[in-house]
Amino acid sequence: MAENNFRALQSANKGKTYFLLASMGLLTWLVAYAALTYFGVGTASTMVPFAVGIALIGVWGSYYGSDKLVLTMTGAKLITREDAPELFNVIEEVVIASGLPMPKVAIVEDSAPNAFATGRNPEHALIAFTTRILEVMDRDELQGVIAHEMSHVANRDTLVSAVAATTAGAIAILSDFLTRMMWFGGGRDRDRDNSANPLALVFSLVILILAPIAAILLKSAISRKREALADATAVSFTRNPAGLRKALEVLAADTTVVRQKSNAVAHIWIESPLDGSSVSKLFSTHPPIQERIATLKAMESLGPTGN
Amino acid sequence: MELIIIGVIALLVIFGVAQYNRLVRLNITVDEAFAQIEVQLKRRADLIPNLVETVKGYAKHEQGTLDAVITARAQSTSATTIGEVAKADGALTNALRGLLAVAEAYPDLKASTNFLSLQEELSTTENKVSFARQFYNDNVRLLNTAVKTIPTSFFAGLAKVGARDFYEVENAADRNVPNVKF
Repeated sequence: MAENNFRALQSANKGKTYFLLASMGLLTWLVAYAALTYFGVGTASTMVPFAVGIALIGVWGSYYGSDKLVLTMTGAKLITREDAPELFNVIEEVVIASGLPMPKVAIVEDSAPNAFATGRNPEHALIAFTTRILEVMDRDELQGVIAHEMSHVANRDTLVSAVAATTAGAIAILSDFLTRMMWFGGGRDRDRDNSANPLALVFSLVILILAPIAAILLKSAISRKREALADATAVSFTRNPAGLRKALEVLAADTTVVRQKSNAVAHIWIESPLDGSSVSKLFSTHPPIQERIATLKAMESLGPTGN
Repeated sequence: MELIIIGVIALLVIFGVAQYNRLVRLNITVDEAFAQIEVQLKRRADLIPNLVETVKGYAKHEQGTLDAVITARAQSTSATTIGEVAKADGALTNALRGLLAVAEAYPDLKASTNFLSLQEELSTTENKVSFARQFYNDNVRLLNTAVKTIPTSFFAGLAKVGARDFYEVENAADRNVPNVKF
């Protein structure tokens, strides 16, 4: 039996995420190295754990309480089966297909069609829909959207983005502190080795200045790969790429965007709520929607997949 | 020297236990997946008496179609082995399709809220059955691969875990290959 396309896509996107996370680790190491060369052991050994600590506390809190935090940030309201029996039916179908526990379900009052998933693990998962998406989508399309959201839960994307946010945050804090210290000339250890290689010093300086931008680029790249992975996993659940493809086409055709355009929660929606044209492709949290539609169309052309 | 030997043995034991546990876990997942199919089939069977009553009220002349559904339901509730369950499941799916097609001819029936909610319940249960089947088959695929490939295959006998049967759809309509004429 030939490898099904969605399985190949899933493993390719997972591989790319590992590579990007490893690059993130390498970048953190480079920044630590730069701090060490430029400021010496004394400063580096206090600053590096300090920055990582601040980033960890900040991100860990929002990761651990993500299901509750996002509810307040987006104004989503939890609903029960009685509020939307048909929606729950479709969700239960996808839950059976995925073998995951039933998530909490929430509704966001909004005139833009969109949806998101969050929660620190499958047991604390929450999926939310805007009121508009429930109006504009038929059953097949909604099933595709739900499968995409449940894929984020299955792939533990809240954890992946928390790890990415922690490293990017630590790098940003570190580089911010260290560049400030440079301007004020302080912080250098008095017993620092004066014969340090000037080339290494310049190199460290460049790393410290460029690292935060590189970290944001890596974080966005990870987010894009996770979106592509979720599309592939969604097809593995429903075996119906056409449903999600049509849903994405509806989203692409709709020009209204979710009212609260907060950058902080942009990555969790199925379609980027930020205005596509103003964000360059490299900084975008989502792959271009036309690219996602094309990938799903290619899967459709493979025909129905077995079992 | 002794330490090295003890270390190697310990690693081998840990490795063996991991393989053994993987096989047992896969086997349990397949059991759970099959139970899920049965749960959904039961749900569908429970919907049928209500559906038959509703349709009867509007479409008295369709006794043949109704009887087909009732017979298929009786067979599906008495099936036990996976082959029987799959066969009865296919027959019932066909009978229900026939019934819903018949309902198309009765506008009053189609408009009744009772029928509409039954139809929604039936279509979601139908989807759940097929997703449960898909989940079961995916897990059988994982289990059978593990049972037949090295190194897990060495532990299959020890764990008393063997290859399992796929849930094959015994459905004439699904099996029919489209007739292509040149």
